[in-house]
Amino acid sequence: MPGFDFSNYNRNAALHARGVPLPKATSTGTTIVGCIFDGGVGIAADTRATSGPIVADKNCEKLHYISPNIWCAGAGTAADTEFTTALISSQLELHSLSTGRKPRVVTCMTMLKQHLFRYQGHIGAYLVVAGVDPTGTHLFTVHAHGSTDKLPYVTMGSGSLAAMSVFESQWQPSLNRDQAVKLCADAIEAGIWNDLGSGSNVDVAIITADKTTLRRNYIKPNERTAKLRSYVFPKGTTAVLNEKIIPKGDLGKFISVEELTEEGGDKMEVDT
Amino acid sequence: MPSPFSINGGACVAMVGKDCVAIACDLRLGLQALTVSNNFPKVFQYGDNVFLGLTGLATDVSTVSDLFRYKVNMYRLREERHIAPRTFANLVSSSLYERRFGPYFVSPVVAGLDPKTGAPFICGFDSIGCIDFAQDFIVSGTATDQLFGMCESLWEPGLGPDELFETISQALLNAVDRDALSGWGAHVYIIEKDKVTKRLLKGRQD
Amino acid sequence: MADRYSFSLTTFSPSGKLVQIEYALNAVNQGPQTASSATEKKSSSPLADPSSLSKISLITPNIGMVYSGMGPDYRRLVDRARKVSHTGYKRIYNEYPPTRILVQDVARVMQEATQSGGVRPYGVSLLVAGWDEGILPEGGEEGSRGRGEGESEGGEKKKTVGGKTGGILKGGPMLYQRGYFPWKATAIGKSATTAKTFLEKRYTEGLELEDAVHIALLTLKETIEGR
Repeated sequence: MPGFDFSNYNRNAALHARGVPLPKATSTGTTIVGCIFDGGVGIAADTRATSGPIVADKNCEKLHYISPNIWCAGAGTAADTEFTTALISSQLELHSLSTGRKPRVVTCMTMLKQHLFRYQGHIGAYLVVAGVDPTGTHLFTVHAHGSTDKLPYVTMGSGSLAAMSVFESQWQPSLNRDQAVKLCADAIEAGIWNDLGSGSNVDVAIITADKTTLRRNYIKPNERTAKLRSYVFPKGTTAVLNEKIIPKGDLGKFISVEELTEEGGDKMEVDT
Repeated sequence: MPSPFSINGGACVAMVGKDCVAIACDLRLGLQALTVSNNFPKVFQYGDNVFLGLTGLATDVSTVSDLFRYKVNMYRLREERHIAPRTFANLVSSSLYERRFGPYFVSPVVAGLDPKTGAPFICGFDSIGCIDFAQDFIVSGTATDQLFGMCESLWEPGLGPDELFETISQALLNAVDRDALSGWGAHVYIIEKDKVTKRLLKGRQD
Repeated sequence: MADRYSFSLTTFSPSGKLVQIEYALNAVNQGPQTASSATEKKSSSPLADPSSLSKISLITPNIGMVYSGMGPDYRRLVDRARKVSHTGYKRIYNEYPPTRILVQDVARVMQEATQSGGVRPYGVSLLVAGWDEGILPEGGEEGSRGRGEGESEGGEKKKTVGGKTGGILKGGPMLYQRGYFPWKATAIGKSATTAKTFLEKRYTEGLELEDAVHIALLTLKETIEGR
């Protein structure tokens, strides 16, 4: 359990009551998609993180590791998607260690929805959960309020409409791996070009029964061109009033551990 | 009433260079339009090559910097080693997220060199702990918009320590000159494998 | 006479002993034999399903634990160790704890059971072996501060650097016993003394993995024989 600390809550609520706006959290405006194919499932995401109208991160990672055979794509409040998936991943790892079984996608989805429902939508994580386990291939969406869907192809985030238009026009019941990856990437690209909250590159994860392949920056349609000239300033451009060189200190400044010699004094009894 | 992030003002920026990193901050502490101090540094050192920049509400800047001083000291005593920048970044992130529903009004920036590989490391956070792992530069504070513009145009890959100093200094100074809430001098740290150079910049006092 | 002081585990006897805790240590020596990080697999009944008996457990991807003593107590400690490696470390630093930190956490749990009301001490000895990521650059001794690395099964290096701190600076294999001291090789359980004498003779610095496994098995064989 996260065990949130609410000790600043009253201060911040009092401030808010006097008209102070709430802090702006980094949001993954986002297009995320998932699609089942014959023998596995693929998920994909764009890589733009926004803070209001500002692009906060041009190449962030929205595909989150849950377990080797389960991955999540996250939209909504960036910190919430990051920490919710990390928490469930950690709980699943302990669970699988104590049961000696591979984690299941339904288990992951159920833990996510119960966690999110408990927080009544205040944890703003919108997730696509995908994976392959001994019971088969699965693809779910989980909304911040705790509702879930199980579908053969899904989209989420601000670019979900753009992405869904691609799926609705091109999806077919039986797809092979390459077709599914192409379809997912095309859906993300639709979000990148047509949704302002999404942009930069396409990340893809392909999960099959025997392995998971993460294709970070699978497509890079927005590469920055090299600058035509250099803007390096000549040395001495900036006026400096004071300069101090801080040498790298020794840890011995804080801690010293003395080596015990065999002869010196009584030898410590370490075992019976 | 303005946002808690813009009551006291302040700006911070970190940049990656070739085998070095830089982190810089302005020195202003204000109460809205009234400047209270021109010596309020916002960059704190937590180890040989781990630096944290904090902008936002000044009371939280002090609280959070002291909180991490405590946490890092406890880490050092428990593990008998310095904290690595990446580990520190994760500590910052989880500590901020713990207060998801009552956050500190700060936007931290971490800069340092990986003690094992010597690789430059920088990252930024929002107030609830989402990490932004950038490969080039990180900005925060009331001059965020200006700093983004300056850094996007001035930064280039593979800058040496001296070039990096000029680039980060010019980016910061020119950005804060277009921000009424920050400025009044600046501190710049250039972190290299064997030494750290701290410089006090001459900035406008208006 | 000592019986008068055995009603409470936290009451010292006039001779300065905590008899209940000595009993717990005796329980350890009833248990099967464990050496280095190899262990004998012997069940009390021929009807038991051998695949369900596991004495070596993985705590984190880089740390394993093995025991001598009471099985149920051990399984509780394995669960606690796994849980604490996440709640007390991974969920904070997003990395697994170094072996020493994990051992300290487990040791704390065990120590608390020796002075809490209403509980009995854990009747197990543990051996924890792990491989730690160091934080200093590989190779190059200049300016490096590190400790002599313990050699264990699963280990491959490393020379004693000898220095000021005990921190995990250089990385490398680690082997700990309950009571947490780093060892190069050790044994716990019924014939621990014989096993350790044997290990003292056979152990050399800079063992290859294969040799370490071989010596661990030889030690077990030597001490199990004739039982």
